[in-house]
Amino acid sequence: MADSAGPLSGVRIVDLTDERAIYGAKLLADLGADVVRLEPLEGDPLRRRGPHVEADGGGSLWHAFFASSRRFFAVDPRAAQGAAQLERLVNRADIVLACDGAFGVAEAGLSEALAHRPELVVVEVSSFGADGPWRSYLAPDLVAGALGGAVATTGDADTPPLKAFGELNFMVSGAYAAIAALAALHCARETGVGQRVHVSVHECIASCLEQVFMWYWYQHNIAVARGPVLERRGSRHWTNAYEVMAATNGSVMVTPAPDFDVQLAWLLEHGVGEALLDPALQAPENRSELIARMMEVLRKWVATQDAEAVFHAAQAKHLPYGLVSGVEEVADNPQLAAREWWAEYLGLSASEARGPGAPYHFGETPWALGHYGDIEADTAALLQEIGWEGTA
Amino acid sequence: MRPLDGVRVLDFTHVLAGPFATRTLADMGADVVKVGTAERSGSNAPGTPYYLMWNRNKRSLALDVSTDGGRAICRRLCETADVVIDNFSAGVLDRWGVGYAATEAANPGVIYVQMSGMGGDGPWSKFVTYAPTIHALAGLTRLTGVPGREDIGLGFSYNDHQAGLHAAVAVLAALAARRRTGRGQRIDLSQFEVGVNLLGPALLDYFVNGRAVAPTGNKLPYDLAAPHGCFPCAGAASAEVADERWVAIACMTDAHWQGLRRAMGDPEWARAEAFSNVAGRAAAANELERRVAAWTRELSAEEVMARCQQEGAPAGIVQNGVDLAERDPELAHSDFLMEFADPHPTVGRTFADRLPIRFERTPCDRYERVRHIGEDNAAVLSDWLGMDADAVERGERDGTFR
Repeated sequence: MADSAGPLSGVRIVDLTDERAIYGAKLLADLGADVVRLEPLEGDPLRRRGPHVEADGGGSLWHAFFASSRRFFAVDPRAAQGAAQLERLVNRADIVLACDGAFGVAEAGLSEALAHRPELVVVEVSSFGADGPWRSYLAPDLVAGALGGAVATTGDADTPPLKAFGELNFMVSGAYAAIAALAALHCARETGVGQRVHVSVHECIASCLEQVFMWYWYQHNIAVARGPVLERRGSRHWTNAYEVMAATNGSVMVTPAPDFDVQLAWLLEHGVGEALLDPALQAPENRSELIARMMEVLRKWVATQDAEAVFHAAQAKHLPYGLVSGVEEVADNPQLAAREWWAEYLGLSASEARGPGAPYHFGETPWALGHYGDIEADTAALLQEIGWEGTA
Repeated sequence: MRPLDGVRVLDFTHVLAGPFATRTLADMGADVVKVGTAERSGSNAPGTPYYLMWNRNKRSLALDVSTDGGRAICRRLCETADVVIDNFSAGVLDRWGVGYAATEAANPGVIYVQMSGMGGDGPWSKFVTYAPTIHALAGLTRLTGVPGREDIGLGFSYNDHQAGLHAAVAVLAALAARRRTGRGQRIDLSQFEVGVNLLGPALLDYFVNGRAVAPTGNKLPYDLAAPHGCFPCAGAASAEVADERWVAIACMTDAHWQGLRRAMGDPEWARAEAFSNVAGRAAAANELERRVAAWTRELSAEEVMARCQQEGAPAGIVQNGVDLAERDPELAHSDFLMEFADPHPTVGRTFADRLPIRFERTPCDRYERVRHIGEDNAAVLSDWLGMDADAVERGERDGTFR
């Protein structure tokens, strides 16, 4: 395979992940690594995840996104021939990214490979670690998010706790898996020491909860804390100073932070909020009361405003408002258009398949979507590359 | 030995996204020097709980960049760094004489990461953003919720964490590239673009099929799975939301459903033919989930989880911070949460959640408490610039290192 121009050009990775870490393999593949994803002869079950191209019963858009820039290798690892092919693939890899129990992991001979090739990096992602009391528990994204602490934070007093949209819990473990792989690769190249690295999805989710542990550990140092747990309460941020408010024709995430004086002056320009000038509210010890009163004024005022206009007017004053946007608005976003951000996802049956572009822009070694494989052609090419003389 | 031993990171970041990136690098052994002044205020001030959460394992250098002497030191630090990282608005580091062009000219190997809200160019590049702003603009707020409402969204600053993790990925990838090419580079990370990227399949669905997905609560937006939601349990300590008890149950396959039936004692209603396949269960999801809830209400969340998992049905307690810290046997087993042995000079007892990555041969088990501003002046200036103690003391007296 021709080397890419990306920062990970020349890095060879075998992708034995499932939903829990496939995003990590995507991050590495889109950065130019040569990532080969193993697939059963009957097809990767993740190719059944929706949404799909509707027009002609086409492929999975979920798979096209998460398995981007990949080559696919169809194999039966339980057959002697398939096991030998897998062994050769692993033997030429710098990194193996694996999820426990995923297709091909048990047959990949990873312990033997580590023993024979001390520079090899093997990242093993599991739901709860290898040896803890919950190691055999089943945890799809909703359950992982619930046990990890994310679900309890989200929702409102009149809704159940809510799962984040999409795959956000597993995108955290995926990102950590990519970090684990690259840090271990750096170490292997600096010192010759490769290794096995463990990533627990449960811990990954628990490590990305902003206020949750802060509330538990430091509740007595947080003026607005009323106990060790902050209840779910819609969009209102733990500071009480960020909240989605209804405008005349949409919703806006409104905040007077970080510069309350600018916000107050703006309200006064519009003839509202004079009560907020009460000197008592300006005292530092009354900051919580000032925020509460200001948010109350803002709720009433924003309700009379055009959503997009108030968002832009706020940003012109360096107030970090955000227009609550749906997929259509995101697709039409002028900032993304100006930065020519969208990327073409090639290899799908759809004539046009635009989708997310780079999450980071490298000045010298650009991020780029690579080949979205043709499984037969990829398998044939890979067999040749590993020097396999027989039939697939 | 730790995986990133020897990597020098000069850290100008603040609030959460940037500090989370450098915390991750520091946890893995990078020498992260956080440049700050004692004068910062608000929730990002040193010693506040928020600051304590994101800045462990870093060394602290106090530097007054409003002075010529401070800016000169800043330039020298940039010249010796492997990584320079900031999340200021565009132009701040240029004004200090350590913009990318100047830094790269003196240090061609530098990896220079700017993680702004909107990216380095474009009509919105000067917009001010925090995670709730990004969540709103990127579609995460509208899509995380229930049908008919736009005012829910994610309950914490998720995108700040993801921006930090993506910045760490970018730094590590650039280190790999530098090893090959001998050169560093600039990385422009837009926290907004990180957030939009997270909606990948939904955006492809829009562009390819013209379908704009709407919020679906705890249902999956594209795939059939039922029951799939959060169910109330017995045992609430009070009527407060924070005291409620819930369990999540996610039957992704028919086998999971069979497991749930066994866990529930295989009641007659569950044997209905309509529920035997996922299409039937999804079509009758409301009725199905009402019946499941009637079962869960009689039991503790712990009991529901244990029974379900025993029978092969995915279920988990909806854990809050107290659950995680006091009752989670898995986190206790892995010793995930810890208290620093060394008391913080102004706060006293401080705590940490460990890096969720375990390297077998280069374990990252060194945890240093958050440093007071300037606490490491002498060590950092000696290690990075070879400055002797007298020079550091003079700088501390004249206000350069303050």
